[in-house]
This record gives sequence, C-alpha cells and structure tokens, in this order.
Amino acid sequence: MKKRLVSVLLAVGLTAGLAAGCGAKDKESKSEEDGVTTVTWMTSRPVDGEIDQVMHEIADQYSEEKGGKWKIEFETTADRPSYLQKLKTLIAGKNMPDIIDIDADPYCQELVDAGMLVDVKKFLEENDKYDDFYPIALKYQEFTDGTMYTLPLEYHVEMTWYNKEIFDKYELTPPATMDEWLNVCKTLKDNGVTPISVDGVDRWPVQRYLAMLPFRESGNDFIINLRDGKAKMDSDTGREAAEFMAEIGQYFNDGFAATDYATAQSMFLDGKSAMYYIGDWEIAAMQEAYEQGKIDYFYLPATDGGKTKANEFCVNSGIGMAFNAETFDEKTKDFVLYVIENYGKLYAAKQQMSPIRTELSDEVEYSDLYLKIQDDMQKTGENFLKPWDTYLDSNTNTVMQDNLLLLASGDLTVDEFCRLVDNSIAENAN
Amino acid sequence: MGVIKSKKAFLAFLLPGLLFYILAVFYPIEESIRLSFMKWGGIGDKEFVGFQNYITMFHDKVFYTAFINNLIYLVIVVSMQLAVGLFFAILLTYMTRHVTLVKTLYYVPCIITTVAITQLFRSIYSTEPMGLLNQFLQAAGLDGMVTSWLAEVSTALAAVSIPEGWRFTGMYMVIFYAALVSLDPSVYEAAKVDGASELQILFKIKMPLIKEIILLTLTMCLTGALRGFDIPFLLTSGGPGNASELMSTYMYKKAFSSNQYGYGSALAVFIIVESILAVYLIRKVFTTKEEREIREMERMQRRQRRREGR
Repeated sequence: MKKRLVSVLLAVGLTAGLAAGCGAKDKESKSEEDGVTTVTWMTSRPVDGEIDQVMHEIADQYSEEKGGKWKIEFETTADRPSYLQKLKTLIAGKNMPDIIDIDADPYCQELVDAGMLVDVKKFLEENDKYDDFYPIALKYQEFTDGTMYTLPLEYHVEMTWYNKEIFDKYELTPPATMDEWLNVCKTLKDNGVTPISVDGVDRWPVQRYLAMLPFRESGNDFIINLRDGKAKMDSDTGREAAEFMAEIGQYFNDGFAATDYATAQSMFLDGKSAMYYIGDWEIAAMQEAYEQGKIDYFYLPATDGGKTKANEFCVNSGIGMAFNAETFDEKTKDFVLYVIENYGKLYAAKQQMSPIRTELSDEVEYSDLYLKIQDDMQKTGENFLKPWDTYLDSNTNTVMQDNLLLLASGDLTVDEFCRLVDNSIAENAN
Repeated sequence: MGVIKSKKAFLAFLLPGLLFYILAVFYPIEESIRLSFMKWGGIGDKEFVGFQNYITMFHDKVFYTAFINNLIYLVIVVSMQLAVGLFFAILLTYMTRHVTLVKTLYYVPCIITTVAITQLFRSIYSTEPMGLLNQFLQAAGLDGMVTSWLAEVSTALAAVSIPEGWRFTGMYMVIFYAALVSLDPSVYEAAKVDGASELQILFKIKMPLIKEIILLTLTMCLTGALRGFDIPFLLTSGGPGNASELMSTYMYKKAFSSNQYGYGSALAVFIIVESILAVYLIRKVFTTKEEREIREMERMQRRQRRREGR
C-alpha cells in the first residue's frame, strides 16, 4: 500500500514538473500593457560605456517623442562569456529577447538557419540606410556568404602600443615586418625588459597573435578554409602561425595565462612592459601617456610577398545588434531607424569611432590621438583581419583557445597543437 | 516513528518536502539523463543518438584528464577540510578562553562569497603585482620558487584546490568541535584514571565515539569536492590548457560554451553516478561487520513483529 502511494506521488510530481517545464514555452517576450510597448534589449556592452550612454540617451528621447507609449529595457551583462551563456540558455528555452547582441559566428548562423533573426542587410537597403555606414563596418558583420544579420554600433582598429622611452633606450624603432618585430622583442628580453604584456585570462588577445601570419599570407582565406575543413592547421600556413605563436609567446609577460585585461594594460601603462596589443576603444586610457609623448602605436607589421598590405590589419565593428524575427514589427523598425539617424553624431561626440558616417561635432574638442586614428581608419585597405573566434564553431574555439595558452608558454608542441585543432574541426565541422 | 500512527497524516507532512525534492532535484536529474541520449545544440529539434554521447565520453582524452584532476582536487580538498578541520577542533578543545572568538574567526571564510575568495587568492598567487605567497617566498630567500601559480601547468591544479579546502576548514572545525565537546567526559576521564595517554584517549576513545559525525562530514566533503566548480572555474576556467580542468568545469564548458547540451548532460550524469558511488563506498567502508550483523538482526526482528501484528 505504502509503496503504491509513493509511486503514485512520484508520478504526480513528475507530471507536475513536466507541466511546469512546458508552461514557459513560446512566450512572446515583447509585452504591451496599458498601451505601452516594452522592448527588451539583451546587451553585452560595458555598463556606462559610451555605447551604453548613447543608447540610453536615444531611447529616452525616442520614448519622450512617443509620449511614453514606448519603452526599452536594457538587460546588460558586460562579461562576454556569461552573456553568451545567458543568451544561449534563453534561446534554448525559447525565450529569445527582442533585440540581442551577437557576433556573426557559427552560432548566429544557426539562429539564422532557424529563421529567428531579421535580415539586417535587406532592412538597411529597403530603408536606404546601407550607404550611411562605412563599408568595412558592415562587411565585418557579414557571414562568409555575404548575408548580414547584425547591425554594428562601433568601429575599431587594433594596434600594438609601445613605450617610446623603452624603445629609445635600446635604440629600437617600431617594426615594419614581422621578423623585425621578433628582433625587437628579443633585444628587449635580452635586456631584462618584458617585451609584451598580454591578457591571457580572456584568451582572445592571445588568439589574435595566432591569426596574424595567416592574415598576412592569405587574408581571411586560411581561417575560412580551416573552418570548412578545406585546410588543415597542420599545413604550411597553419604550422607557421603556430610556430610564430610559440616564438612570440616567450616574449609575453610571466604568467600571462593568469593575467587579466586590467593587469595587462596597467603593466604597459606603468612601463613594466614595452608593448601591448589593444584596439582604439582604449583610447581614453592611452590619451594621457600619448600626449606626454611616452607612448605611440604601430599597426600589424607586414611580411614579404604577403597578400595583404601594411594598411590592412584588424579592423572590426564589434559585436552586432540582432533582431528577433518574431517580434520585429513596425514599432521596432521605427525605433531602429531612429537609432541609425541619431547614433553616429552622439557616439562620435564621445570621442568614439562611429560605424555610421557622420560629421564631427563642433562642440567637442577632439584629441590629436582621436583625429590621428580616425584618419588612419579612412585609409585602411579593403582586407581586414577578422577574429578567428567569429569563424570557428564554439567547440573548436574552446579547444584552440585552451591550448593556445600552452603553446605560447612552451608547454605544448606545435605538432600536438595542430593535431588537437584539426581533430576538433574534423569532429565538429558541419 | 511511534508518534504519528496514521499513515495519511504521515504522508501529508511528507508531501511538501517530497514535492519540492522531486521538482528541484529529481526532475532536473531525469531531464539530464534524457538529454544525455540526445544531440542538441540549443536550437531546433533534439536528435536521439542512443549511447553515442557516452561512447564519445569514454574516448575523450580531456574527460580522463578531468577525472584524474578531480581525484587530485578531491584529495587536497578533503584532506584540508577534514584533517585540518579535525586538528583545529582538537586543539580548540584544549582552549579554555576565547573559544567563541576563534570559532567565529575561523568560520568567516565560509560566509564570504565565492567571487571575493577568488579575487583574494588571485592576488595571493599573482606575480604582477607580486602577491602575498610570492612575497613570502622572496622574503624566505626562495626566489627560485617565485612563479605565477595559476599560470604554471604544474601548479595550477593545486592552486585552485587550496582555496576551496581553506574556505570550509572552519566549518568542519566547528562541526567536529561540537561533536567532541558533546562527548560524556566521564568516559575518557575514567580512561585517564586507568593511565591512558592523551593520544590514546584521542584515537581509541574520542575518535570512535564521533565516528558517525566523521562519516557525515566525509560524505558532505566528498560529494562537495566531486561537484567542485565555482572557485576553479573563476580562477582558471580549467586552464592553462586543461591543466586544472575538473569534471564539472568540463561539463559546463561542453554544455554552455560549446552548445553540446547532450554531451554536457552525459558528463553530468557521470558526475551523479560518481557521487552516488562515492557515498555508497564510504558507507560500506565505515560499516563494520558487527554493525552489519546488528542491523540484520534488527531487520529480522521488525519483520517478525510485523508478521505477529497481522
């Protein structure tokens, strides 16, 4: 008797649990209560950073124009891995927010294939907004097949910053070729100076170094072929990249694998390392030392006979904004167009590089550094290094990033690294 | 048992707890098991693949690394928490003043949030700026040992295990202390009169008397360590390479970073089985032959009574 009761209870409990699990299914996240439309933007931008500020400003303005009948809710998770985990969990639970932030990576492609995202290229062309953007800013958001489902809100170049005082002391000049770069590092290390400080905790900064030589050699072809299973890491290009990684890795600061973003940057700014690779988004941090003439920057050095030129390097428009196809109605469209119209000017006024062409504001006094980088950006070539993590499937990316740290610290051989990456691609490439 | 005679009342009291348990524990486990037979990337339909995820798991080199790492982690954490906790508790029984103060101070790490503990240890281990541990080594003239403890392949695993062990040492100390002071003093005072040394009293009388508590804490501690996740994940997220990868961090990465929910669930199921197995083994080891005989007798007596009652 007792046993039967318990089993009945178990069954009831289980069904209740199942029902609870199913209940949340297919809920539309956009809500309209008392005539007020609320749109949710799940975002991964630094809290109170320039984008955050500008978007809040625009949203407030827009809401006011609509007489408070329209509202946007920001759900910010700046830390990228946690953001992605939350986003993926929400989507797996069929609760995709109205607007999300996402890179044009394989996961995004899956969303597109499932018909969950709005075709942003089509949207921009239909509304005559496509040419308002810098071409590279949009091109960066494209998938390999030329389609585009994400809208850029930023525009960046990445460069290596160097300490002029240290360079002068050892009579070094900014390297023009990759070999010169390695020589500069060697001289510094021989003199007891830490050549490069690197944020290994976040891993992507290390991955950039791996991408450098293949980009010089073949643009983004190598990584695209690698992803598609048409090229191997264990090929001439791949091995060169890995060997370069192992070589330049010995010039990274001690314990770079456990060094975080802020520490790596402050090491450089405190003069404890001679070089540091980061994009123009850190312009505010670099400003003071640059004005004092203590630091300067150089772009990715060239190679002999490479396919890409010296004015071609890592240019990107950051993580994009994507729209839930199910909830993208006239009201949301209107808001997005409003953003595109107003964003450029407001964003540039914060001394940031805007992906939307805009006049520089007269009311803001732009720094020399800003104007110099802005000028550089007008002169970049048509090729640009697209980060490898936006190409690779997330599993291979994890394998590559995990083992990259070992490769760079000399704890893993080039052979073994190539084998691990190739195996992972063979297993996970569709 | 004799208090509530009515079986219905018995169930009514049990129901809320049982329902909560089913929803919060049983249902997720059941879902994990179901998912572990599927291939699913989070979007679209789940595809039934039978035992494929388990086959992949047993061919996965990282899985074995994580398993071995987990055992090492377990040894470090359990020995720190239990051995050190017990040692402190014994010392504490000899203290006559400020016992509460010491107990409170040692208990503090348990109530600090994990993230704060992680930051604390990140600073202790770091080389840039020179952390506490490395400063200490330098001061002791051991400059050669100064290293970035979390970035070094050979030290990363121990470095992520120690904070977890350190954190709960105080808690186990308090539990052991409570057990030790609750013993009837007349038992070991009698032994003392008979000429037993302090050590003999400790190992021959006190320890056997608190065996149940040791079993309980060992179970808590072991299953806790088998599920260990937060501190290692926050400190190194399994790195460098897979040098400090644990079962749980690997499971998390597979499910939530690589979107392999099916494979992640297979790993989760393995962790559950492993934990149940560990608890079963401890119980087995701790149950002596005599106890088994006593239990067997009790069971037979109960059966007898029930038969007579009918």
